[in-house]
Amino acid sequence: MSRSQLVSSGVIALVALAVGFLLAGQIKAQLLTPSNQVARNQALVHSVQDLERTNDSDRRQIAALRAQIDALEAQAASQSDTTRALQSQVADLRAHAGLTPMRGPGVEVELANGSPSADPTGQARYLVNFQDVQDLVNLLFGAGAEGISVSGRRITPVSSFSGSEGEVVIDQGPPLFSPIKVLAVGDRNRMETALQDPALLPSLRVRQLQFDLGLKVTGAPDLALPAYDASLEIPHVGPA
Amino acid sequence: MSARPNKTAPRQRGRSRSSGGAMAVWLIAILVAFVATVQLRSQAEVERSLQSADPATLAFSIDQLHRSNDALEAQIASLKQQQSMLQAGGGDAVDQQLMSEANQLRMLEGLVPVHGPGIVLTLDASGLTSLDLQDAINNLAAGGGEALALNGHRIILGVDIEQSDIGVSIDGTAVSAPWSFEVIGDPNRLAETADLMTQQLRGDRRVHVAAYSVAQDLVVRAVVTERPFVYAVSS
Repeated sequence: MSRSQLVSSGVIALVALAVGFLLAGQIKAQLLTPSNQVARNQALVHSVQDLERTNDSDRRQIAALRAQIDALEAQAASQSDTTRALQSQVADLRAHAGLTPMRGPGVEVELANGSPSADPTGQARYLVNFQDVQDLVNLLFGAGAEGISVSGRRITPVSSFSGSEGEVVIDQGPPLFSPIKVLAVGDRNRMETALQDPALLPSLRVRQLQFDLGLKVTGAPDLALPAYDASLEIPHVGPA
Repeated sequence: MSARPNKTAPRQRGRSRSSGGAMAVWLIAILVAFVATVQLRSQAEVERSLQSADPATLAFSIDQLHRSNDALEAQIASLKQQQSMLQAGGGDAVDQQLMSEANQLRMLEGLVPVHGPGIVLTLDASGLTSLDLQDAINNLAAGGGEALALNGHRIILGVDIEQSDIGVSIDGTAVSAPWSFEVIGDPNRLAETADLMTQQLRGDRRVHVAAYSVAQDLVVRAVVTERPFVYAVSS
């Protein structure tokens, strides 16, 4: 290749690069809303992301601390019968509180947002909300579930549900979004029968028809639930 | 014959150099297209997420995450203290620690009577269903409730509140209005929650009276029966 060919190739490459960036810049500028609303929202989104990172790191720390405490207790239990008996009691209580992983037969339920069709109520009812998850969890416990997790979050005896449109917050969060996967270990047949009962979960069933909300149930011979990884503090409660 | 290779060899070399240059240009052009696409897609994704989350939703998330992270940090402090005690003490310290944890978990699982500050929320209503009661229980739990009883029945998540043709039952026992929720927890948070709930419930035609009072020391004597696992195993 001659010097002039080399130069012309370089010029073409530079021009292509500049055109690419100009094009990207132009379209990007057109995408931005011409108000500072986006900037304000971006600041809020960044705050949420920072808090979610802290939340995630705190959960990992809690799980690690609980594992270390378990190991220290197991070490002590190997040297004393009294400690071993106490440890066994605590292990059973921890299992019922959702503090240890669990496995067994059960059902897997997937809830997914429907189609954003016109909703005369203006309530975005095509979105999965926290009441849907709450109703489903209550139904499963009533139908023989011994342990439940929601999108990887283990449910405890003091769990609660909150959130806004399309956002589900369980206990100390962070928010979960569709699709929501609920795993329940327990009496598989009873749970499957309850989930097929058209009289139960009325809100979900109506919206399933109206907005094509997803409700998929699968039975499984062996499901694994994670341990609870957040706070179980009840500072205002004492023994009577 | 010998001249042909001499003539063609430089041309082949030239073609190979020229195709190398063209390839470089193509590579740069592809790179440019890739950069532009990535730039556009990432911008479009940010746009979509910003459009889908309104400021009220984001503000709710921030408030909820602040409160949650405070609770998680309190739990970390408590676990660290527990860990230090186990590391420093001998067998007695471990036994005390295990007994303390067992007592805490029994309260949490509703297996023993408990007391503490809280509120009593009363509803005189006709026609409330099990779903309405479950909603109220969940709102109180999310609003600072740590132990709860409804009409003298201890409630934890997992207690069966069922609707039948004749009304509502809790773990198989029929219950009816008026509804009395005894809730132990942070009394200030619970009062705010109960205030909002009673305002909303007064707008419900089925509700005749919705009121609450703050209690300095509330005793919840009802307990739930422990249920051994039949299907599940700890892993």
